Amino acid sequence: MKMNRTNTAGRILALLLTALMVLSLAACGTKGGDKMDGMSSEPKNAEEAVAMHKELMAQENAILSEDTALWEKVFMAADKGMTMQEDGKNYGDFLLKTIEDAKEEFSDEEFAWLKEAATEISNIENKLTALEEKYPEIVQQSMDGDMSIPAGSDTSNPPDDGSMQKFPAFEGKDLDGNAVKSDELFSSNAVTVVNFWFTTCNPCVGELSELDALNKELAKKGGALIGVNTFTLDGDEAAISEAKDVLAKKGVTYQNVYFASDGEAGKFTTNIFAYPTTYVVDRNGNIVGDPIVGAITEKKQAETLQKLIDQALAADMG
Amino acid sequence: MSCGKKAAAQIVLLITGITMLCFGVWRGEAATVLSKAIKLCLECVGIG
Amino acid sequence: MSRFRGWIQAGATLLTNLHLPNFLKGGLYQGTGKTVCVPGLNCYSCPAASGACPIGAFQAVVGSSKFSFSYYITGFLILLGVLLGRFICGFLCPFGWFQELLHKIPTKKLSTKRLKPLTYLKYAVLLVMVFLLPAFLVNDVGMGDPFFCKYLCPQGVLEGAIPLSLANSGIRAALGKLFTWKFSILLSVIALSVLFYRPFCKWLCPLGAFYALFNRVSLFQMKVDKNKCVSCGKCARACKMDVDVTKTPNHTECIRCGMCIRACPTKAVCFRYGFGDGKDKAKAAETLQTNNNNREE
Repeated sequence: MKMNRTNTAGRILALLLTALMVLSLAACGTKGGDKMDGMSSEPKNAEEAVAMHKELMAQENAILSEDTALWEKVFMAADKGMTMQEDGKNYGDFLLKTIEDAKEEFSDEEFAWLKEAATEISNIENKLTALEEKYPEIVQQSMDGDMSIPAGSDTSNPPDDGSMQKFPAFEGKDLDGNAVKSDELFSSNAVTVVNFWFTTCNPCVGELSELDALNKELAKKGGALIGVNTFTLDGDEAAISEAKDVLAKKGVTYQNVYFASDGEAGKFTTNIFAYPTTYVVDRNGNIVGDPIVGAITEKKQAETLQKLIDQALAADMG
Repeated sequence: MSCGKKAAAQIVLLITGITMLCFGVWRGEAATVLSKAIKLCLECVGIG
Repeated sequence: MSRFRGWIQAGATLLTNLHLPNFLKGGLYQGTGKTVCVPGLNCYSCPAASGACPIGAFQAVVGSSKFSFSYYITGFLILLGVLLGRFICGFLCPFGWFQELLHKIPTKKLSTKRLKPLTYLKYAVLLVMVFLLPAFLVNDVGMGDPFFCKYLCPQGVLEGAIPLSLANSGIRAALGKLFTWKFSILLSVIALSVLFYRPFCKWLCPLGAFYALFNRVSLFQMKVDKNKCVSCGKCARACKMDVDVTKTPNHTECIRCGMCIRACPTKAVCFRYGFGDGKDKAKAAETLQTNNNNREE
């Protein structure tokens, strides 16, 4: 911030600003390419082999989750029975064959990309098999429950780093004055979607009717949706009546709750600054995946939300 | 515009401005501004 | 004073965006300071912003279901308009400074003289996108969209969307078509700023349009001493806002940058601060002096 008069300094800053713009562009549109190096050396012991095995599987998953829509097409083709996966055969080769068989379904560009990706997977699989042959015990250690072969539609599991974050506990009331306890609420539902909004937030109000529809759908699957209007925290009478007014106009039937702003959940709410924000919470009160920022009237956001809900429901079944 | 007239217009406008400002605060506009300004207005900055 | 303009602009930008650590945290400043507006165009969704954007705040009030006009913001803008006028554009506005810095990138520069009719566009933006649409194009619960912020303002993308999406993965995931549209606007404004001087201020800025309306009655004025003026025309050639200060010293487009003052070989042009037209030259110089002292604190 210390230039002018000296033209050069101004120019440098201008250039810096331009560079920043370019960088931010790049950050928005990264499409990861090849991340296949540094893993060719032989492992010295079983521990290293496990690490390597894990790394390879992560790479494979990364490739598979890079363009989910396109892979979906491939799996669809495989589902139609065009090609059969034979036991013990290389999964990459299977993908390659499926892609070749369904060639006409893809554009040239897609086909080229898929082929390259499948070849890469094939290479990874070869390395994996070699590792598994040499150290049979690593298979168990490396893939505790995680499949190396994606079994169909859902290939993009968000990275669960094991440490699930608890949704902050609260004891509050709904806008009609009925007591609501977070642990009871969460444990009685397979999945709870928590939507944070406020009355004067246009996109928040805009998504209310869609959230209501989602709530009805969730009810069939043993889930529920609740809203938290941040203006109503601590039971502000005027804010509650305004919120109720908007909810009535939008035909919302699901529960809206409030709690004390100085409690655990209240502090959590103050830290949310972008609205609307939607959390998915499982039966144990853990937050599933990352919160969804922005209205779910946007198709992309609705899909992300549905994925998280399905994930929570599937986990609840298992 | 003569000197006196211009000065008069300036004074009238200044008073108008202050009055409007106070009236706006009195009817609760300032609170609305604050409630919007401390939260990220997703649509405003061009997200989504 | 105009010699220190770059410094004043930098200082104003810093004061307008005091909470710099928020850039790294990816959050907003949430204190009560945001009840008050800053004079320039500065997005209140900028992580560092210390106050509210007058244009954004106006639309927020007008777009809420409770109000359809904002006396608070209009009063504030009238006050600033009379006290300072477009001096704010030239000295205090962060986005104006941003465009000026871009203009320092050495390339061929183009004149905007022939594009004069475009300067009226900003009044249309002010009237339609800021005043009318947010107030009257409302949804079923009486809320209107902030049309200028949502569809046009490049400052929101520059200060809000870009830094926040870089720091916050949730917001990154929310970037959609609207972002693409507004990002293209920002890129166009950046490209145009390199070629033209302050294209956004001249043609689109609703805040500049509002202050422009008050330039003629503003206490902050340009003064030309007819006795000293030799009609050399250097001031008009130096003016990057296409104003001839000798003919219209308080033209709507004048941002009080003072380039004409520095260009004048006979020191016939000067700033003046005070009520009325100030016929007395000595007195005028005196008021300017005191004002300078006040301003630079």
